Parts: sequence; C-alpha cells; structure tokens
Amino acid sequence: MSEEMKNYEVLPDSYEQDMRKKRKGNKEKREAEAAKLTMNSLMDILTIILVFLLKSYSTDPMAVSPSADLTIPKSSAILDIQQSVAITVTKAAILVDNNIVMMVKDNKVEASQKRGGEDGYFIVPLNKALVEAAEKVRRIASVNSSVKFDGLCTIVMDAEIPYRLLTEVTYTAGQAEFSKFKFLVVVTAKA
Amino acid sequence: MTKKRKADAAPDLDLTPAMNLILILIPLLLTAMETIKMATINVATPQIGPSEVNTPPEDRPEDKPLKLTVALTDRGITVFARDQVIENKDDPLGPTIPKIDGEEESLTETGKMIPGRVYDYNKLAEMLADIKAANPAEENIIITAESNIKYHYIIKIMDAARDKKEGDKRKVLFPNVVLSAGIA
Repeated sequence: MSEEMKNYEVLPDSYEQDMRKKRKGNKEKREAEAAKLTMNSLMDILTIILVFLLKSYSTDPMAVSPSADLTIPKSSAILDIQQSVAITVTKAAILVDNNIVMMVKDNKVEASQKRGGEDGYFIVPLNKALVEAAEKVRRIASVNSSVKFDGLCTIVMDAEIPYRLLTEVTYTAGQAEFSKFKFLVVVTAKA
Repeated sequence: MTKKRKADAAPDLDLTPAMNLILILIPLLLTAMETIKMATINVATPQIGPSEVNTPPEDRPEDKPLKLTVALTDRGITVFARDQVIENKDDPLGPTIPKIDGEEESLTETGKMIPGRVYDYNKLAEMLADIKAANPAEENIIITAESNIKYHYIIKIMDAARDKKEGDKRKVLFPNVVLSAGIA
C-alpha cells in the first residue's frame, strides 16, 4: 500500500488533471447509463408472483365472496371443499351455481313460490334450477368418466337465515336428487 | 470489450407492455384470491326406506336404536335418546340444557362480544361425551330446531357434537349429522 502511495506521489500534476477529466467523463457516462433500468430481476419476481397467484386461483373449487347479505358462519370443521353444485342462500336471493334463481324477502320465500303455500317446503323455482343443474352434471358425466353425479351439493348460507328456510332448501334439493350436503363455513381454531 | 457490450445491448426487449400487463394482473388476482380459509361440514337428510322389520322387544329399552337427537329452541337445547327426553333435573318441563347468561361473538363485527342469553355448548359437549362413552359405536346425531333458530347456531351445535378436546387429543363424538324437519 505504501509503495503505491509513493508511486502516486511522484506522478506529475498533469497526470492527475487527466485522470480527473477521465473520471468526470466516466461519471457522465454512468449517469447516462443509469437512466436505463434493467428490469430483468423485477420481471423474474413479478412472473413468479403471477404464476403463483394464477395457480392458487385455478385450484380454488368454489369462489365465494362474503358480502353484507352473505355472512358465512364460523366453524371448527376441517373437511375440504369439493367441486359440486352450489346453492347459495343470502338475505336477498337464492342462487344455484352463481345464477340468481329467486329473491328472498325477510328471510322467507314467498308463499306463491312454494308448492302448498305458506306451510309448504317445496320451492318450485329452486327445484327447477336444481333439476337442470343435476341434468347438466349427468350430461358431463356421460362423456367424462372422471365426473359422476353422486347427489352432492354445497350449501353456502348466510349465518342469520332461519332453520325453516334451511329445511325448505334441503327438502327441495332432496326432491331434485341431491341427498348429500356440504355446508360451507369459515374455519376458526377451536378453543 | 466495447464491441461485445454493444452486441449484448442490441437485443434489449421493450418490457413495458409486459410489465403493464403483469402489474394489472397481480392486483386483480390478489383481490380475487381467497384470503379466508373455508371448509365444509357433511350433512345428510333422513333416508326414506322400509320400516325396520326386527323391532326390539319392549322390555329391553337398551336394544332400541340410540337415535340421538338435539333440538334447539329459544329456551335452550333439548336432547333426546332412544325416543326419550333427557330430563333436566332442576326443571323437568324445561329444555335439557337451558340457555345461560353469557356473551356471543357479533356476526357483523369481528371480535365484538354481545352479552345475552346463550346456548351452553360446553355442557352439551359434556353430555354428548357421556352418551358417546355409553354408546361407543354410535356416530350419528339428528339435529332439529325451531323455525326461527338462526343457521349459525346449528353450525355451532354441529361443532359441539363433532368432537371434544381431551388433553392434547380430540375425541370424536358424533360426526355424522342428519338434519331433520323443524319443530312446529
């Protein structure tokens, strides 16, 4: 190190001026280069995030978005969600596979929509939609051996829906050959 | 050296459109992504079939099927076993497990507790554990409720009936739920 310093000391002044100019020139050049971003690493990160998100998006068998009309109850259940026909009952409407079938008022189905009036359990429009949904699954099953109709449906229901409407929905689904139900819940740790 | 750098710089791609696309897709997918973990509870409805041919003799009630039934009313939980109500000794006419003073979590605001009369899930779990100990092979439970009982109470009853924590382990109680028509 000391030898280098000695060498430096003996160099003429003009040399140092030259070097300064050169350094200045290099600095200008560097500044010009800095304006150009190399985005490769950023692109790598973003591509990985994108692939991860796309993967987690596509493997989700049931897309449920809770809203003011649909508060999903909490439970300590651990069974996984299975791909099946989904009956969603919110405070405002009943949906089958995310298509609105009928409206709900005051957590009740109108008597005119039920077979047997006020005391009836059979909800006519819901049954029609479920028969169609079952038929659709059967049609798919006839050409795709990995799909089969086993009478399974997932019920997504608002936490404040009364038991009466729940039994009406399960009864109507039973009439459309759906006998196995899965109630969708939000997982919480059990105390 | 300069020549090489020039040659390297030549195939510089214009990544701006790709970046734009990715930057739009990421927030879109993030918002669509499931942030809360969901699960399901298996439930069945009563099967309609021929009545049992081999009816057990009347003098041996322990041979009767257990037919464990939990009924929810506004006043509390009534438990039936072998078609008999399990009586509450303090109040023979009332429900088996009356509601108690306590607090329950608000459905709309997370973490907020509302004081009031609540179902005694712990007592129910204890009672069901005793019934399970006497009938270890039984796994079915019938759940029924009054018309106005809210859905989340039914889910809570299913949770209490499914398993019970015993030390570090969870003891399985009655995981097979059958929903029955409501109490008129």
